[in-house]
Amino acid sequence: MSTVISAQDLRKYYGRTRALDGLDLTVTTGEIHGFLGPNGAGKSTTIRILLGLARATSGSVTVLDRNPWTDAVALHRKIAYVPGGVALWPTLTGGEAIDLLSRLRGIDDPVQYAARREHLTEAFQFDPSRKGHTYSTGNRQKVALIAALATPASLYLLDEPTAGLDPLMEAVFRRELSAVVADGATALLSSHILSEVEQLCDRVSIIRAGRIVETGTLADLRHLTRTEVAFSLDGLAEADLRDIPGSHDLVIDGPRARFTADSDELVDVLPTLAQLRVRGLTVTPPSLEELFLSHYGDLSTDVARQTRRAARHSRVGR
Amino acid sequence: MTTLAILIRHRIRRDRIQIPVWLASIAALLLFSALALQDTFGDVTERTLLVRLASANPAIMFIRGVPQGTGAAAVLIFTVLAFLGVLVGLMNTFLAVRHLRAEEESGRADLVASTPAARAFPPLATLLYGLLVNAVLAVAVAGCLLLAGQDPAGSVVTGLALAAIGVVFLTVGGVASELMPSARAANGLAVGAVLFSYLLRGIADAFGTVSDDGLSVESSWLAWLSPIGWAQKTRPFTEDTLAPLLLSLAAAGVFVGVAVLIMARRDTGASVLATNSGRTTALPTLAGPFGLAWRLQWPSTVAWCVGAAAFGVFGGSLGTAVATSDLGNSPIADQLARLSRGGDTLTEAFISVIFTIIGVVAAGCAIQAIVRMRQEESHVGGELVLATPVSRDHWAGSYIGIGAIAVVLVLATGATASVLAALTVGAPEESIEDSVVAAFAQLPAALLFLAVVALVWSVVPRLTAGLGWGLLVLSVFLGIFGALVGLPDWTAELSPFSHSPVPSGADTDWSGGIVMAGLALLAGGAAFILFRRRDVEST
Repeated sequence: MSTVISAQDLRKYYGRTRALDGLDLTVTTGEIHGFLGPNGAGKSTTIRILLGLARATSGSVTVLDRNPWTDAVALHRKIAYVPGGVALWPTLTGGEAIDLLSRLRGIDDPVQYAARREHLTEAFQFDPSRKGHTYSTGNRQKVALIAALATPASLYLLDEPTAGLDPLMEAVFRRELSAVVADGATALLSSHILSEVEQLCDRVSIIRAGRIVETGTLADLRHLTRTEVAFSLDGLAEADLRDIPGSHDLVIDGPRARFTADSDELVDVLPTLAQLRVRGLTVTPPSLEELFLSHYGDLSTDVARQTRRAARHSRVGR
Repeated sequence: MTTLAILIRHRIRRDRIQIPVWLASIAALLLFSALALQDTFGDVTERTLLVRLASANPAIMFIRGVPQGTGAAAVLIFTVLAFLGVLVGLMNTFLAVRHLRAEEESGRADLVASTPAARAFPPLATLLYGLLVNAVLAVAVAGCLLLAGQDPAGSVVTGLALAAIGVVFLTVGGVASELMPSARAANGLAVGAVLFSYLLRGIADAFGTVSDDGLSVESSWLAWLSPIGWAQKTRPFTEDTLAPLLLSLAAAGVFVGVAVLIMARRDTGASVLATNSGRTTALPTLAGPFGLAWRLQWPSTVAWCVGAAAFGVFGGSLGTAVATSDLGNSPIADQLARLSRGGDTLTEAFISVIFTIIGVVAAGCAIQAIVRMRQEESHVGGELVLATPVSRDHWAGSYIGIGAIAVVLVLATGATASVLAALTVGAPEESIEDSVVAAFAQLPAALLFLAVVALVWSVVPRLTAGLGWGLLVLSVFLGIFGALVGLPDWTAELSPFSHSPVPSGADTDWSGGIVMAGLALLAGGAAFILFRRRDVEST
């Protein structure tokens, strides 16, 4: 597998502000690479550097074996870009904007383009006849998405592409993106919608304060964290549970007991649980959300667990 | 009541810079004109000359108004009232649309309407605030005239007449906001109404009936259809009658009624005219950055051309009148000589002044093209376009190129309008050649503005609009008006407009123009190179 995006020790300073502070990123052919991080972590700065819209203060970067700053024009023939929060020309209709952007990118086969545009317009339920200033956030986003997907590209740079889309349209986006990637394209998907990343991405890089703090497949990342094990207390004494090998952070919460175990050592816990003949057993692997939160600020993994539990209970309650 | 007070205070705070700037500009223009007129036409014989010249020439009356005798203050009103009326009208329509349709379009109106302010209070607050602004305007205008030593009654009537124009167009802006789906469209409609009203009274004044002594003109009945015409009918400093302003009040009342009726029947955010939908696919011409730049820029280019044409008609039709009148030794001739830095004949001097103004229009058009490029880069689709296989040079070159083409179009339109007008009034052929040469002579200065503002944009993009328009205003002030207010000569030399070649037959000195064209090339080239080296700055 060859490398599509390769960035080493990328730094970007705006005066004293360090937008990127030694970022390393590798994206290989044919993958959808999730690019996760909160607002202001440096996702958009990275993508703008990959596009040659901004120049890195230091560090090296190649995209499709080219330097994005000096080879922008040649490179852009193979790239489709969708920014988050698309701004349109107020006096151009959505359809005109789609045609303009597609023509700028280069239409090799007009018949195929027309068919593709028609298909996407329908799939995204988009009305191309309205003027730019009348579209809602989600509809403006559709213009950029349709323009990006209507002509073939080798690399899709997607910067929070589904901002403002409803869940139905998000599903359409996932389907269409999966299709072009299945045909051999590569995508870098910056997002903070974790379910989207979980469903789409092969590998994930988590960025924090201008550096990549974690990168790997979702399975790799899960190994680094703990799995939650919970079961009905049902007559068991706390003392019986204290010494389960491999268990941590035991909590008795009303009728239920729960603890966490290293994901790699989960099998060591199971024989003891079997001996205790626990009932109502649930084993929950860490969600991406927990992986994500475990890398961030004041929110500990524990908060994430509680949030998730609360959400689950309220779902059951309904 | 407190809700209303909060909303009015909010409007005052939001407009705390632009409304004072509008009011100060209008007051300064009035005061400046009053003082300049006293300076140059202090004597009644000079004023008689001026008024006779005007009443004999419909073009002057079309632009200015109808003369009402030779009193110093009456001549002032004749020269500035209609023009100030347009400014007051624009200030008010922009105010109304800014606080009504623009708020609804952005969705902010929903936020406010969800509080106890509900739907009716924001427009009511806008109306009261607008009335307050016009009251301040009336006081400022009357104050300036008193300061210039004019008669109190006439000063107050002038203030009220201008405020009445303001109130009418405040409500016109309100109705436009009810009708139109976007602030852009509402501003377009309301500004159109202001200009149409100026045009109506212009035609009425041009076809007015001249009195037997040739010192006053009664405009035709069409003037009764124009709010600016009503203000002129008050005849400040001659008749001082407020009765015509009852028409203004009645019209404002009708417009408020119409707006209330529409508002009571529509949803917040909706409008009477829905946004017209457009093409679902783009025309073949919209295929590159140049096509896009042209598509975005042609409406404003047309507007700049119309402005240049108006001045061209004025200059072309008047050039001959100036030459044939007995003005040769009058202060007007001195004035023209000071404004135009020479020129062999009075006609050449006059045409040169008019084309300097057309040159300013062309420079404004150039600056606007660069400001548009900055807006594209920062707020709209510039980033989307630059992420496609379009080079930085190609993209910036499209906007700068369209700017250069627009400059040429503006000057050509001005020259054509001037020539046609000159032919209509039967001017001698050399004045036609003067127009063409004078238009061409303005090209280097306008291109220099285009290139210098592009250079500013390539280095400090954030300052493009501020520095660009600021440079133009400063250059106009130093180069064109500086001499009139007694600034030393070297300050005038700072302005590009001072270096534009002055048509003087075969002796025309082109060196200033050649130097400016060279500087424009250098600045433009530097802009391209520097833009290649900086980040695309979007906000």
